[in-house]
Amino acid sequence: MFDGAFWSINLELLRGFANTCLLFVVTLVASLPLGLVVCFGSMSKLTPLRVLTRLFIWVIRGTPLMLQVMIVFYLPGLAFGMPIENRMGAVMIAFIINYAAYFSEIYRGGIESIPKGQYEAGQVLGMTDSQIFFKIVLLQVVKRILAPLSNEVITLVKDTSLARVIAVGELIRAAQDIVAQQAIIWPLFYTGVFYLVFNGLLTLAFGAMEKKLNYFRG
Amino acid sequence: MAMLQVSGLTKKYGALDVLKGIDFTLDKGQVLSIIGSSGSGKTTLLRCLNFLEKPNGGKITLNDGILFDATDAKTATSDEIRQKRLHFGLVFQSFNLFPQYTVLENVTLAMDLQEKDRAKQQKRKPSKEAIQNNRKKARQILKDVGLEQKADSYPFQLSGGQQQRVAIARALALEPDILCFDEPTSALDPELTGEVLRVMKELRERHTTMIVVTHEMDFAYNVSDKVIFMANGKIEEEGTPQQVFDTPKSELTKAFVNKSKNL
Ligand SMILES: Nc1ncnc2c1ncn2[C@@H]1O[C@H](COP(=O)(O)OP(=O)(O)O)[C@@H](O)[C@H]1O
Ligand SMILES: [Mg+2]
Repeated sequence: MFDGAFWSINLELLRGFANTCLLFVVTLVASLPLGLVVCFGSMSKLTPLRVLTRLFIWVIRGTPLMLQVMIVFYLPGLAFGMPIENRMGAVMIAFIINYAAYFSEIYRGGIESIPKGQYEAGQVLGMTDSQIFFKIVLLQVVKRILAPLSNEVITLVKDTSLARVIAVGELIRAAQDIVAQQAIIWPLFYTGVFYLVFNGLLTLAFGAMEKKLNYFRG
Repeated sequence: MAMLQVSGLTKKYGALDVLKGIDFTLDKGQVLSIIGSSGSGKTTLLRCLNFLEKPNGGKITLNDGILFDATDAKTATSDEIRQKRLHFGLVFQSFNLFPQYTVLENVTLAMDLQEKDRAKQQKRKPSKEAIQNNRKKARQILKDVGLEQKADSYPFQLSGGQQQRVAIARALALEPDILCFDEPTSALDPELTGEVLRVMKELRERHTTMIVVTHEMDFAYNVSDKVIFMANGKIEEEGTPQQVFDTPKSELTKAFVNKSKNL
């Protein structure tokens, strides 16, 4: 099995995996901060903003990501006569929006779990709202949401495989191409190793972060 | 002229009248104890003084300056409120220390942030010297409350009594005109209340102006210059500790004082 074909198949798969990684990184880098913005919207004192944001979160979380990818890709062409050329771009947009919605709910849960007394202690010490958030609340929130966040990030690794519904050449799509061309099935199963190793590394990274924040309780 | 003058202070939560017109004065260097049964509005009064709640009516004057006046139409900006808050310090029943910071950092944090704010306004870098001084000052205050050895500990490593002493140090660091305490020993095991009360007595020796909401009747009797008994959102009786505890005029005060004695 470990002949020339094995290595060339590995190379093919790695090309797909590069796309998988690209989608993962771009989605993460964009949706983590965007999620915070969405979170502030969903906690806003301005009722219209809050209601709209929660409606948005409900729609995003209430429909399949696969459907969202297809909508982002096909809708501009069908509705406005402006077909999207960049398939990967469309997938990224759908993923970023989707994950921002999920992250925002994780953030909200974390922020709302911080005792009111922490804010009030900051207030009576004359701190501004942003000082209270960034200097007092944020790190405590991070510590509390690390576990749900790691769940979501691991899900994202696996969700990248949805990109193939609009023919983006991610890892599984690359394997399927090989399967179709060479009439062998194992490359498809073998992709599982890539996901496992990737998620194994992520699990280690999150474990390290959790350990790092173990110096305090709260 | 008294340092603090509170007049006609009212606070409603919806239809509930929690404070029904509170009037009192406090002189510099004096200790005022506020006693009263649970739900009588003691916490709400402290929260109004610290601008954690906005009163519905009344006036708060400090050192001849008006801090709050309900009849004044223009509402204070959040920056103004922040400045006003600094006249008061507040020690909470549940300490509310910042768990991710060491004891020393808990005490220096607000001072350092103030220096950063000043630096930003003056378009300069925060002065290393000022930050250094803050640390020195914090260490001195921690020494005063008997916690110099715990400067590098984290809150979770401390007993409740130690945590509350850190909270007091944290409030003192900003040198408030008046330091308020909301049942500072209520969350503590009985054997830990002593160390906190001792620190408060020492503050009194140094003429720190204090308002103390407390269930510690011995403390109220022995340490305060003035006692206020609150009932149903009003000041039912006020006077020297001897007046309120030994010769109460109001029946409600009598009942409350007798009940506390029997505990
Ligand atoms: N945020 C709030 N909303 C509604 N009611 C409140 C709030 N805070 C306090 N109250 C009510 O105000 C009354 C006085 O409360 P509080 O000032 O905490 O009394 P005390 O500290 O004397 O026990 C109580 O009846 C309490 O239920
Ligand atoms: Mg209370």
